[in-house]
Amino acid sequence: MSQSVLEVEDLSVTIATPSGPLQAVRNISFDIKRGESVCLVGESGCGKSMTSLAIMGLLPPAAKRSARRLAFAGEDLAGASMKRINQLRGDRMAMIFQEPMTALNPAYTIGDQLIEVHRRHKQQGDRIARERAVYLLEKVGIASAAERLGQYPHQLSGGLRQRVMIAMSLMCEPDLLIADEPTTALDVTIQAQILRLLADLQKEFGVALLLITHDLGVVARVADRVNVMYAGEIVESAAVADLFAKPSHPYTRGLLDCIPIPGKTAPGEELGTIPGTVPSLIGGIQGCAFMSRCPLAQGVCAEGAPLRHTNDTHAYRCIVEAA
Amino acid sequence: MNKSATMGTLLEMRGVTRTFQVSQGLFSKSRTLQAVDGVDLDVKRGEVLGIVGESGCGKSTLAKMLLGLLPPSSGTIRLEGQDVSGLPRKELARRVQPVFQDPYSSLNPRRTLSSIVSLPLEVQGVRSDERRERSIAMLDKVGLPRRFADNYPSQLSGGQRQRVAIARALVSNPEIVVCDEPTSALDVSVQSQILNLLMELRRELGLTYVFISHNLAVVEHIATRVAVMYLGRMVEQTTTAELFRAPRHPYTEVLLASVLTPEPGLGVPDAGMSAIAPDPLNPPPGCRFHPRCPKAFSPCTTQDPRLVADGEAAVACHLYTQPHTAAA
Repeated sequence: MSQSVLEVEDLSVTIATPSGPLQAVRNISFDIKRGESVCLVGESGCGKSMTSLAIMGLLPPAAKRSARRLAFAGEDLAGASMKRINQLRGDRMAMIFQEPMTALNPAYTIGDQLIEVHRRHKQQGDRIARERAVYLLEKVGIASAAERLGQYPHQLSGGLRQRVMIAMSLMCEPDLLIADEPTTALDVTIQAQILRLLADLQKEFGVALLLITHDLGVVARVADRVNVMYAGEIVESAAVADLFAKPSHPYTRGLLDCIPIPGKTAPGEELGTIPGTVPSLIGGIQGCAFMSRCPLAQGVCAEGAPLRHTNDTHAYRCIVEAA
Repeated sequence: MNKSATMGTLLEMRGVTRTFQVSQGLFSKSRTLQAVDGVDLDVKRGEVLGIVGESGCGKSTLAKMLLGLLPPSSGTIRLEGQDVSGLPRKELARRVQPVFQDPYSSLNPRRTLSSIVSLPLEVQGVRSDERRERSIAMLDKVGLPRRFADNYPSQLSGGQRQRVAIARALVSNPEIVVCDEPTSALDVSVQSQILNLLMELRRELGLTYVFISHNLAVVEHIATRVAVMYLGRMVEQTTTAELFRAPRHPYTEVLLASVLTPEPGLGVPDAGMSAIAPDPLNPPPGCRFHPRCPKAFSPCTTQDPRLVADGEAAVACHLYTQPHTAAA
């Protein structure tokens, strides 16, 4: 009935720490439709990676997840059994991690690791799995794919390892692909190639993509819709063109001012900054979390920020209506 | 013209090569990796020289040689005309200082900030009371007030740590600061603060920077001149404005075309370069870029292009020396 591949409603993640519960993710909601690219953007510690781990059910033991609704293709994930989650994970929902060096097992050849996913979920025999592995390695631009299957991760460059990760995530034709900073460790030339590849594969296979990044350049070029996260919350959510044309939350505007934009920022000109630091997420947060760093802050911000809409798909949380 | 170009030269590299012996496993012979190969480079007083290129192109090896941390295998490096191999280690360290990428590993976790920052002065034999005074003054200059002086790095955020690294680099009044990816480990809102600080300090103290980065938007913003490296070679050098306006080397074009500027609706560019990077242990003959070059033609496969200067700019590409065959 619903077109959404992923529905997230009021997702929270709380991590137990010696000094009290840390609210890493606080009541965030978004959904992703088939063939759509949604970005979660924010700085370190904003909860974007915790969100992806919470969706995949890969949170560390100290972290607790709660959600009003967490559904994959209409099926509830929050209450699903471990067995069911294991069936879906790797098969219909897959993840690409930031560090291919730590995400790949150094003791097995990449062929073993690619085939294992397929063998486990599809049970169609190793020959078919192997054919698919070769097909996908070629698809992600790896030359002499058949020989590469016998190589170990350490024999590949960073760019190639990341391609292997992408190929692995596609072994079972997933409906949802979560990519957590997939190109952060790579050179610009390789980054462009990997992102193009993701976009092409997405079009070809109709995958719903959740891309987690801190890079506004990547967001602008890849996303259909963007959620800006700050201190565990989504503070602004918009179609990509709207976000860049009319950034409405002061944090989003602050972020955009921080990066030099060729043609707009004069060389050597002083860049914008966001003074202060992210508040501690341990214990409760009163009011708007951005208050202490916000140029527009006023007393009432301590009581929280209302959700405002500039149009049907563009919403932000702020006491001040964006001009 | 030539005179004015050499007059302001603070640091120069001529034919600098650095090789490493790479082990190929227990029983096979080690092979030679040419990390930097015959590089000529001038750093002029007061400029910000950006060095860009993919990982493994030799930019960090180049930085280490500029800092005197690695001797070149051949070629010479001169600081104001003096061969640095003949300079006392201490003098080079006083005049050329580094800021490294990762402020989490570049600061000693067991020393206080003032002691970290005063270490270069200790090496120079400055008295201890003066050391403390100067290090506290320098910490203040980089935006860390006196109350931080007895803190430890673990009490600081990444941006604050990078400020400490900058204070340490500047405390001995160096002429050149070699910044190797100084903002790559930082969040964007912190990155802008550090870039602003670096620019402000340069104006105030008349510093010269060698600024190594893979972030081309940052290089375009902060550098006055840019050198592009590919697989150990210098392939292009020119002023920042010129490089970004009209790149000449096909590799520079590819690099610039790959930059994802925050402009929605443009999609991810296709720079048209083969994805397969060459093996640095076995570099291709002729121009090292030719197997990936969208504009390669016959001489590229056999003849090694030299870096040819043309006024302020220099490029190592046959397109500019044998243009008759390259009209297409």
